[in-house]
Amino acid sequence: MPMPATPLIEPEMPMNAPLSPAPATAPEAWAINVDHVGKTFTLDGGKELKAIDDVDIKIGQGEFVALLGPSGCGKSTVLRLVAALEDVSTGRVTVEGSNPTALSRAHRLGVAFQDHALLPWLTIRDNIALPYKVAGRPVDDKRIAELLALVGLSGFEKARPRQLSGGMRQRVSIARALVLKPDVLLLDEPFGALDAVTRRHMNVELQRIWSEQRITTLLVTHSVEEALFLADRVIVMSGRPGRIIKEIQVPFARPRSHDVQRTMEFHHLADELTLALEPEGHH
Amino acid sequence: MKMPAERWQSLTLGIVGIVLFLAAWEAIGVNRLAGLTWPPLSAVFQFMFDPTKAQLFIRAMEASFSMVILGYVTGSVVGIALAGLVHVLPVVRPGMDRLASVIHAIPAIALAPLFIVLISREFTGMAIAALNVFFILYVSTTSGLNNSTTGHRDLFQVLGSSGTTRLLRLDLPAALPAVGSGMKYSVPAAFIGAILGEWFGSSRGLGLLMVSAMQNFQIPLLWSAVFIASTASLIVFGLMGLLEQFVYGRYK
Repeated sequence: MPMPATPLIEPEMPMNAPLSPAPATAPEAWAINVDHVGKTFTLDGGKELKAIDDVDIKIGQGEFVALLGPSGCGKSTVLRLVAALEDVSTGRVTVEGSNPTALSRAHRLGVAFQDHALLPWLTIRDNIALPYKVAGRPVDDKRIAELLALVGLSGFEKARPRQLSGGMRQRVSIARALVLKPDVLLLDEPFGALDAVTRRHMNVELQRIWSEQRITTLLVTHSVEEALFLADRVIVMSGRPGRIIKEIQVPFARPRSHDVQRTMEFHHLADELTLALEPEGHH
Repeated sequence: MKMPAERWQSLTLGIVGIVLFLAAWEAIGVNRLAGLTWPPLSAVFQFMFDPTKAQLFIRAMEASFSMVILGYVTGSVVGIALAGLVHVLPVVRPGMDRLASVIHAIPAIALAPLFIVLISREFTGMAIAALNVFFILYVSTTSGLNNSTTGHRDLFQVLGSSGTTRLLRLDLPAALPAVGSGMKYSVPAAFIGAILGEWFGSSRGLGLLMVSAMQNFQIPLLWSAVFIASTASLIVFGLMGLLEQFVYGRYK
């Protein structure tokens, strides 16, 4: 398949060029390489639905990339392909140079889902300890205590998920994703279900946590501000079938504080991304 | 405890209901409203707690309850184990499902003579109880094992979980509420099975007491045996209900 005839928006930089400081000599140098991938779902009744088409994303080691797009544009499908929860229809996905299943099998993948997916019968401490148990490793209680402190939930070890608020549960889910020090972190709208104030607060915390660990991260979101505030690079997708229509490098230095969001540059970039998100490309 | 007001209300209403039921029983018996075969409750109690009858009832209870327990445990273990097996080996699931429904569709009465020939008279009740319990626990456990959400299954996959780990850490805990309900509802089924089995010529047990009392027109004895069997079944059912409540609170 050729690229869509005349891109709706002229990218400022070539889409496939390395925008990150990662070395680009061999394809294996990419932490995540989504190589011209398409995904078609067969619906009940045999009808085919093309979820994404010719999506090409390269993410360097230690880079934070946000995948921005409207609901239903297939951005979560991209994340599920990287997490090996779906198989590609065309193209290829490699993570750390090999098949994405290799990463999860080696227990080196951290994922936080939109639905926190905490087990209701386990305490907070046991939920965060779950990746150790699944990996058959001894539980490192010091690490769990550290992470609980990091996400601001020290003292909640013995609580159960239902006793916590939505924002607290999401923080537990992020702590669980980080507990094994994964090589790759995938965040699927982790704050999508939260109210605006909590969400903003969570973004600041995630930014702080990430700046301390610098794990290769792919964030899927429909919030322009969230993408700009958190990521090194923002990739914009359009819907049905999902395609990449724009890509920008985020210039703000880390660690970032709330003040970044008040700068002219932030507003300018936010306007630019919002415009790209509009259904017909622009206006 | 949460909702103490509602709890107290339902408890009070329950007690009022039981008292009304027992009072009606007594009134009907005293006034002979249902004829000679309906004794007043007081007469039944008098008969039941007569010290000279104690030995009779204790022996019958020992015989029946040991069959109930044996049948209940056997049925539960086999039901849960087979449900676990078809969960791990989905190819055999349709066959097992059909077999379980066929067994359940055959009336226990029709199977009892076979059991008498195959095993022994004494264990026929246990076998019927086990069959009844097996079906309920097989169905509740197989459906319970599929109770985990897609989100949780995705989580275990991205954590790189093996099938066994997922079974132990996700599917089984998620199935516990359904298993708890199954264990509660199979209590009466175990009692029915055991006592029914004893009707078919067992030499001991409450079922035998009922049949012989009926044939010899020993009305207080008949009612005493029925009362003991029903009360025991209700008590165990209530205890299992508490267990079920605990499991729901913990795992749902």
